[in-house]
Amino acid sequence: MTAAPGMRDLARRLLAYEAVAAKRSEPVESPTLRVYEKLRQSLSGFAGISAFESLAFRALMQAKSEAPELWAVQVAAGGSLQGLGEFEPQIEMDKDLAGEFPGDDGGIILISRLLGLLRIFLGETLTLSLLRAKWPEAALNDRNSMHGRKA
Amino acid sequence: MSTEDKVEINKLPTGVPGLDEIVGGGLPEFSFNIIAGAPGSGKTTLAHQFVFANASLERPALYFTVLGESAIKMLRYQQQYTFFDPAKLPDSIRFINLSQVVLEKDLGAVLEEITKEVEKANPAVVVVDSFRTMVRKPQSDMELQSFIQRLALFLASWQATTFLIGEYAEDELRDNPIFTVADGLLWLRQTAERNSIVRKLQVIKLRGQDSVPGLHTFRITDAGVQAFSRTFGLTARKRNPPGDRRLCFGIPELDKMLGGGVREGDSVLVAGSSGTGKSVLATQFIAEGIRHGEPGIVAVFEERPEAYAERATSLGLDLETPQKDGQLTILYLRPLDLSVDETMHSILDAVQKIGAKRLVIDSLAGFEMALAPGFRTDFRESLYRMIFALTGIGVTIVSTVEVDESFTEFPFSTYSISFLTDDIIRLRYVSIDGQLRKILVVIKMRGGNHAKDIREYEITSSGVVILGERLTNYQALISGLPVHFSPSGSKEEPSR
Repeated sequence: MTAAPGMRDLARRLLAYEAVAAKRSEPVESPTLRVYEKLRQSLSGFAGISAFESLAFRALMQAKSEAPELWAVQVAAGGSLQGLGEFEPQIEMDKDLAGEFPGDDGGIILISRLLGLLRIFLGETLTLSLLRAKWPEAALNDRNSMHGRKA
Repeated sequence: MSTEDKVEINKLPTGVPGLDEIVGGGLPEFSFNIIAGAPGSGKTTLAHQFVFANASLERPALYFTVLGESAIKMLRYQQQYTFFDPAKLPDSIRFINLSQVVLEKDLGAVLEEITKEVEKANPAVVVVDSFRTMVRKPQSDMELQSFIQRLALFLASWQATTFLIGEYAEDELRDNPIFTVADGLLWLRQTAERNSIVRKLQVIKLRGQDSVPGLHTFRITDAGVQAFSRTFGLTARKRNPPGDRRLCFGIPELDKMLGGGVREGDSVLVAGSSGTGKSVLATQFIAEGIRHGEPGIVAVFEERPEAYAERATSLGLDLETPQKDGQLTILYLRPLDLSVDETMHSILDAVQKIGAKRLVIDSLAGFEMALAPGFRTDFRESLYRMIFALTGIGVTIVSTVEVDESFTEFPFSTYSISFLTDDIIRLRYVSIDGQLRKILVVIKMRGGNHAKDIREYEITSSGVVILGERLTNYQALISGLPVHFSPSGSKEEPSR
């Protein structure tokens, strides 16, 4: 079973948003890691580190079945992500990525799986509220964001 | 100290229907409160209701979770309640998990973490759920007391109204320092009684204001916790002084026997065995009120409203039209785990909604059966409170009660509740001339004189019809086995 298209679209938007900032960072950061870290900070503070770890671990397991290139990625103690560098260099970081983050790579799948779990537990409204609080400037302004349509 | 010199304490709405009345108008602002009770008793839901009712963008609520239910699962379930407003998250209501600091550090670090978040958010409401797990690690009494003291002082000085949620046993009340420091203590209890769950709430302590003492029923529904005050929300309402107005049954001979009708605001008991026409009489009372522009409520427990209205139609009484016109509400109260307080609130809501002047409870036996077994033991006391409250606001009540027909006794009620009623009308079977006929007598009228006559009646297609004059040729009529006197005055055998 693959991640829902709406979740992929939402993950793609977040990654595209972070890709711009990632490009400017020194050294250049992984957009996936930036999105993941923001989610980790937000959710660990809100629900606790253990709760985040459990969700992240489950999301990674699901993502690995869909994206074998994530094989080396691990959720470490505290919920941080390790081993992402194994596949991240495949992403072209010097391109202007805003709004056009590459297709179905492992990063999108991992983030979409994490968002999918949040949606299952909290519902669309609360999930979007949490994302909007963390990405106030990203275009996540209505429920269409979770249904694969642009807001 | 004069009223002007006193500090004014704002009362915050609890967000729990019925609870404001119980706590004396709302919870004191900046108070430090404990919500205690067993698992599943509704503590977290109650706290959420308060939070959603009071949190704003300017003064948010901080909800600290510790070990136990994660915020993700908590929100998953809490958002099922109608009070849950997702727009308030995450800005007006902020969830913060303290598990890590609780697990890895000491109480000083916990306080430091809370302090940091409070200073950052300037919250109006702070909840710690569960406080019990926060202080579970072994520590000295002094350390615990000092922590609670500092926490309470800090949160009060930041003008936050605080709730600590905990699973406490009642025997801890005496020794646990948390109960000494708290300004308010709400205790939620739930017990299984036979096949029903009975939930009760008690305000054990509330500094600075009067609360309604005793145990109050509460229920957890789609709307969250709903409390039912023992005073039925009527403490603020003035009692209507008894008036002189008489309310008729629309049965001319009976109304005459009652001295012109039942006094407004009276509680009338119609007692009789099965088939004597108690419900018919009660229906005629309601229908007569509607004819005179007095809206009515019928609370039925033994048949559905449609069946009740249909039976009235067979007596030539139209109960359909007044229901459509908002002049009549037929309440069907059949669940088997109701408390009197809940039933009462349903009735009271209906009374207030249509401005009812007349209420029929048909019947008290059905009412009792609709209650959870645990509430049946308090039936008389609860009924007393209910009747007192309703008649106090000018509603005239006719209750029917089935009594076992005995040919040696003349009981008014199996409940020994005659003291609750102002007036009693007794219906019974009597054996006369080889027929089982019916007689009616007004036993008591608190508000004045009434006829002492024993009258025969029939139930016809027009309802209860009183026949002829009083039965003068019989003795021992109320025994059910009267002795007939012939016109010559000679005594005959009991009429059978």
